[in-house]
Amino acid sequence: MTPIVWTYISYLIISVALTIWVARTLFKNGRIFLVDSFLGNEPLADSINHLLVVGFYLINFGYVTMALKSADKPVDLQGVLETLSGKIGWVLLILGGMHFFNLFIFSKMRKRALLQNALPPVPPQVFVQGVTP
Amino acid sequence: MKSLYVLYDQECSLCLSCGHWLMRQAAFIQLRFIPLQSPEIAQRFPGLKEWDGLDLREKLVVVSDEGAVYQGQYAWIMCLYALRDYREWSQRLAEPLLLPFARRVCELVSRNRLAISHFLKAPTAELRNTLAASLPPVCSIGTKCD
Repeated sequence: MTPIVWTYISYLIISVALTIWVARTLFKNGRIFLVDSFLGNEPLADSINHLLVVGFYLINFGYVTMALKSADKPVDLQGVLETLSGKIGWVLLILGGMHFFNLFIFSKMRKRALLQNALPPVPPQVFVQGVTP
Repeated sequence: MKSLYVLYDQECSLCLSCGHWLMRQAAFIQLRFIPLQSPEIAQRFPGLKEWDGLDLREKLVVVSDEGAVYQGQYAWIMCLYALRDYREWSQRLAEPLLLPFARRVCELVSRNRLAISHFLKAPTAELRNTLAASLPPVCSIGTKCD
């Protein structure tokens, strides 16, 4: 096997492992946010969580596979490491971006839920009796 | 809190237009509109007139279905609080830093509402009817209501 094939194989293994790790972290820790956002509706929160993670996997694996081909062909170990590091670096950056984007979505959902349950921001001046609705 | 009654001046185009705008927004709390000239105010809120601080002529007043009365800038903030897209703004305006500013703007607009209305189209009967339609019939003992 040529050095470039070794680069590709290592790249795929590392990228897939990283993606799975980030997705699992998101899945595990995002759930509590979502349950809170959906006012304790756990089945709905779990369903949204699952859908988000599927989207996360699709985008990341899509990027990883598309970015596989390398323009420079390494001939020795140094070249392999350099090429690999550049590619993994991109994968990490994309994963980081996606991760923060997901957090942004979670916090937006949570904020909306909090807003819906917010108490009136100002106190009433007086209470009147005998209101007929 | 399920609904908020907005006591508006039906002689003023600005108030009618604002009411119409409020009606068209997606709301968390249902807004109902009562003209302050209407005798229905006394019918619906018998205790309201007894409050010394009441200033229906100069300030916007809203009353919740639970009997909480908000006046002036607080009433404006409560109208925003009722709306889905503007609740965040109501929280922002209620902060100590912005509340005095909100009070000044609300007082200025309320005091000059008739002057501002000169620049707007005269209120149409259709607009009045649209706002009046937001009001359910008065439920009193003996009448069947939902």
